[in-house]
Amino acid sequence: MILDPLIGGIAMGCIYSLIALGYNMLIRAMNLLHFAQGEVMMVGALAGVTLVSGLRVPYLVAIPVIMVICAALSLALDALAYRPIRRRNVPVINLIIATLGVSIVLSNGAILIWGAEPIRYPTIYGSGALLLGPVRIPPQFLAPLLVGGGLMVALQFFFTKSLVGIAMRAAAQDRDTARLMGIDIDRTIQYTFAISGAMGGAAGALLGPIIFASFNMGEIIGIKAFVAATLGGLGSMPGAMVGGIVFGVIETFAALFISSGYKDALGYGVMIAILLVAPSGLFGRRARA
Amino acid sequence: MVGGERGRRRLRVLALAVLLLALPWLLPQRYFLRVVDLGLVYAVLALGLQLLVGSAGQLSLGHAAFYGTGAYTSAILTRKLGLPVELSFVAGGVVAALLGVTLVPILRLRGNELAVATLGFGVIVHAIILNEEWLTEGPFGMMRIPSFRLGPFVFDNEFRFYFLGLAMVVLTYLAFRRLTRSRFGRALEAIRQSEEAAVTSGINPVLYKSKVFVIAAFTAGLAGTLFAHLNRYLNPNDFTLAESINVLIMIVVGGLRSLEGAIVGAMIIVFASEYLRAFKEYRLILFGVMLVLLMALGADGLRGLPSALARRLHRG
Repeated sequence: MILDPLIGGIAMGCIYSLIALGYNMLIRAMNLLHFAQGEVMMVGALAGVTLVSGLRVPYLVAIPVIMVICAALSLALDALAYRPIRRRNVPVINLIIATLGVSIVLSNGAILIWGAEPIRYPTIYGSGALLLGPVRIPPQFLAPLLVGGGLMVALQFFFTKSLVGIAMRAAAQDRDTARLMGIDIDRTIQYTFAISGAMGGAAGALLGPIIFASFNMGEIIGIKAFVAATLGGLGSMPGAMVGGIVFGVIETFAALFISSGYKDALGYGVMIAILLVAPSGLFGRRARA
Repeated sequence: MVGGERGRRRLRVLALAVLLLALPWLLPQRYFLRVVDLGLVYAVLALGLQLLVGSAGQLSLGHAAFYGTGAYTSAILTRKLGLPVELSFVAGGVVAALLGVTLVPILRLRGNELAVATLGFGVIVHAIILNEEWLTEGPFGMMRIPSFRLGPFVFDNEFRFYFLGLAMVVLTYLAFRRLTRSRFGRALEAIRQSEEAAVTSGINPVLYKSKVFVIAAFTAGLAGTLFAHLNRYLNPNDFTLAESINVLIMIVVGGLRSLEGAIVGAMIIVFASEYLRAFKEYRLILFGVMLVLLMALGADGLRGLPSALARRLHRG
């Protein structure tokens, strides 16, 4: 059936979208390509193993706990590494490479804590699938669809309805004017790091049971989510959501029709093609000269 | 006597030249020389990227694709077709440059989007190297690649390769120094500062960006052939995104836009990755922390450190 891979692709896409949202929030707020975003997700997935297997926390309780852990981690990274560098007014490429340094530290730190072997999540889901007419949704894809979708809707409300969310958008749009309106820019940047960390954590918690959790999952998945973010349009919130899902679907179908060695390459090829037609992605905000 | 600033500069260059030529006798440890040789290969690679990223301001995350293309081209030509290294060396650069030409359409992209597109390109080239086993021998890698030779000279050990590597670095450096100080270099500088302003001054940014992109690809191809005949074994995993990022780190550590910085940065990163091995599982953690600290140095990288220290001391 064509619908099965579609469901799988959309579910994986929701996970990419959550990570891509983190990327795009940081790009929008401070033009920062946060390469350690995937590693924040990885810490979330591995922390999930510790919580669910080690401490016997129910999975659905573990997800919000992981989101809090990763939000705290993300804030700590900003306070310890990025903010001191930002204060020195260095070129943006220095900051990007610092995020690479952080991602190296996180993934190798994870080896020290959790070891280098991939870890399997305990069985969380039963074997029964949800049947909606002709659509069959396997249980491991249900959580990404529901939790991921729910988080994206919640984030949309946060940015359009809450004062903090609107302040964050204002600060991203025009820093100086926002400051004149009494918005604390440093504070909005902290909120941005916290929320992007929480989204990364949620992605890790949802991804762990689908693939094994391991120290290097952040690089593999993080780069794909980054490509998804570009596909949708760097710095765009709806772009991150749509880009993630489009990339997830392309990737899943590519795996069906293309020899698996080129499965990953095809996604990138499609991305380059789309960028050539629409240089700032599907939902790019910036008008190009 | 040679007097004044110019005379003193000549003396310094002469002293540096003598020191560099004498280095293999001063520090004859094989392991040390091997790391220096590797550093020289990376210095050539970093010089090309410095031109692209530093001078022209085009962020590329796919440089390993050209490096790998050069390496595999030369390895395949010598191993499978028995071509002499003198020819395959040039071919490695030319094939990488041709690959660069095919990429010219994506140079319309700017900034982050260009970075991601080059990243995607790097992933595709890596997938080809990994999967086309008939050509590249796939994941097991390519073994028994012959040593570099030029006529009667064979560069088949750490000691001999050093002089080849040194000559390549010096030649690349001198060529790029001429280039960046020419009209071409000034045009790149104009484009980096503002594409719009460059256009109004009669500069065609796409043309200049394409040229510099192809030059950087050619240089990376040459560096790749050097690596292939130094290491004599190629593995697809030598040419991943991590490698592209590594070269980027080199030029930022050494100081963006500085050709000397690219060479120094390449040496520092190669030495750091080799000698941190003593710290075993903490090696990469230390490397990451080092990167974060170095990035706080700012736009000039390590080059700016002496003057920054002087300023701080002066302030008291």
